Amino acid sequence: MLQLKMAKQEEKTKNKSFDLVIIGGGPAGLTAGIYAGRARIKTAIIEEMIAGGQSATTEHLENYPGFKNGVGGVELAMMMEEQAKKFGTEVIYDSVVSAKLEGEEKEIHLASSVIKAKSVIIATGATPRRIKAEGSEKFHGKGISYCATCDGALFRDKKIVIVGAGNSAIEEGIFMQRFSDDITFVQDLPYLTAEKILQERIKSYPKTKFYLGAIVKSINGNDKVESVTIKVAKDGSEIDIPADGVFVYIGYSPKTGFFGKELKLNEQGYIPTDENLKTNLDGVYAAGDVRVKDFRQVITAAADGAIAAHSVEKYLENK
Amino acid sequence: MALLSNEDREYLKGLFTGMKRDVNIMLFTTEEKNFCSFCNDIKEILEELKSLSDKIKTHEYSFEKDKSIADEYSVKRGPALVLKADKDLGIKYYGIPAGYEFSSLVEDIVDIGNDTISVDESLVEKVKSIDVPVHLQVFVTHTCPYCPPAVRTAHKFAMLNENIKADMIDSNTFYEYANSYGVQGVPRVVINEKHHFEGALPEEEYLKQILNAIM
Ligand SMILES: Cc1cc2nc3c(=O)[nH]c(=O)nc-3n(C[C@H](O)[C@H](O)[C@H](O)COP(=O)(O)OP(=O)(O)OC[C@H]3O[C@@H](n4cnc5c(N)ncnc54)[C@H](O)[C@@H]3O)c2cc1C
Repeated sequence: MLQLKMAKQEEKTKNKSFDLVIIGGGPAGLTAGIYAGRARIKTAIIEEMIAGGQSATTEHLENYPGFKNGVGGVELAMMMEEQAKKFGTEVIYDSVVSAKLEGEEKEIHLASSVIKAKSVIIATGATPRRIKAEGSEKFHGKGISYCATCDGALFRDKKIVIVGAGNSAIEEGIFMQRFSDDITFVQDLPYLTAEKILQERIKSYPKTKFYLGAIVKSINGNDKVESVTIKVAKDGSEIDIPADGVFVYIGYSPKTGFFGKELKLNEQGYIPTDENLKTNLDGVYAAGDVRVKDFRQVITAAADGAIAAHSVEKYLENK
Repeated sequence: MALLSNEDREYLKGLFTGMKRDVNIMLFTTEEKNFCSFCNDIKEILEELKSLSDKIKTHEYSFEKDKSIADEYSVKRGPALVLKADKDLGIKYYGIPAGYEFSSLVEDIVDIGNDTISVDESLVEKVKSIDVPVHLQVFVTHTCPYCPPAVRTAHKFAMLNENIKADMIDSNTFYEYANSYGVQGVPRVVINEKHHFEGALPEEEYLKQILNAIM
């Protein structure tokens, strides 16, 4: 069935001020927006792409509670967005380029305006980690992809290599079966790391191949990808796998590069928080995939959003 | 069944209020059935859009039967949409703007209807000063959240300068065509057939790519 998706832009906001600005409109930011709106906190969510973040690049979510037949990633995000707006939260489609987070009054800098806020929730999430192998730079967007939902349809009946075998990799591998049944997984760890139910399902596709305990050494070809060379850890042997497309799911990097030194990050760039999701700065909280935590899912991001909004409410009351 | 929810319809009605000039949407259907499997849906969408504003006018043609009109607007294949004010603005969609691209369509309508320039001020003169023909083809899929900005930037540039023509191309509908350009990731923007870049670049970088290509 035909779907229509629409980023609904409020009137252009210029130099406004809010009690709370939420940076990022993924599940964490949108949920924070719902709770903050209901607490009657004057709130804006700033999102540079489309509501839902990573969850909008997922065709189908099967583990979000309440939807026994699963729910479309985009569909869920659109419902969350509507819900946040219903309670008065504004959604501004723009990029945050930098932020001044110290002191009582925070400044959120957009490309051509500044928004002031008494408190901030950082919910900028994460982006896929780039693969580093010989040839990988050359083929970025020309055979190497990080978004099966976006690019999968370009590889009908083609040979696909998926790097990684965690949840995202296997899920997207299952999604890709509609375009091609020639799919090979390569993962550095010697076993599959996805949920058991996903493992069972991917194994039900008889043509799917797995190279576990192997790393990608190079991605080869002239104008386009022709093969992937992998190196097997056990015996150091190299295998050449014919490939037209390489889909990469080898983990994520947090989107925190544009913040200043005042915000404390860990070595990988994730934001450490206390149990109320406060960062090292007063009035600044972090929620979702961007913070230091073990399990990054839509439900855990949404839970973070609720907690962070609750913390903001207390923070604003005590001021 | 209505494709738009009541909420969406109300939202769009508000968005289209106060538009000062007509927005003409010309649909070219095609007899090639497998290209046109969504043509009935697009007709329905256009009907709905039309009912939301008296400034939105829709016109239906057949790519094959109305060849002279197709030629007049340099429509190369169907299905296609041409968006224009009273004059042609060089804005096209090949394949229907569904999925994320529906946003592009709505924003184009608003820009045309209000006759607004939504390119960043500092770039307007540079875009206007391009004095050679530029053809931008933006390859997308409906499921790509990164694609609408790439389409919109191309369309905005086209609105500013009549030397610039900008097409959205749904790589799924026009799979062979996309393949002929070696599209393996979207969005891909092809400039004057020869040059291309991937990804939704900010307007300034986008313009640089165009300027480099025509140098
Ligand atoms: C392929 C794939 C499959 C997945 N499958 C599942 C699944 O089945 N079930 C599940 O529970 N989870 C799944 N996940 C994980 C889940 O999507 C994430 O854990 C969740 O989306 C994290 O939410 P978030 O709000 O913290 O961050 P994100 O979803 O990353 O959202 C962050 C948002 O912030 C915006 N942003 C970033 N920087 C800026 C800026 N400077 N200015 C403005 N906006 C900015 C981004 O555009 C983005 O929209 C999957 C992820 C992927 C990639």
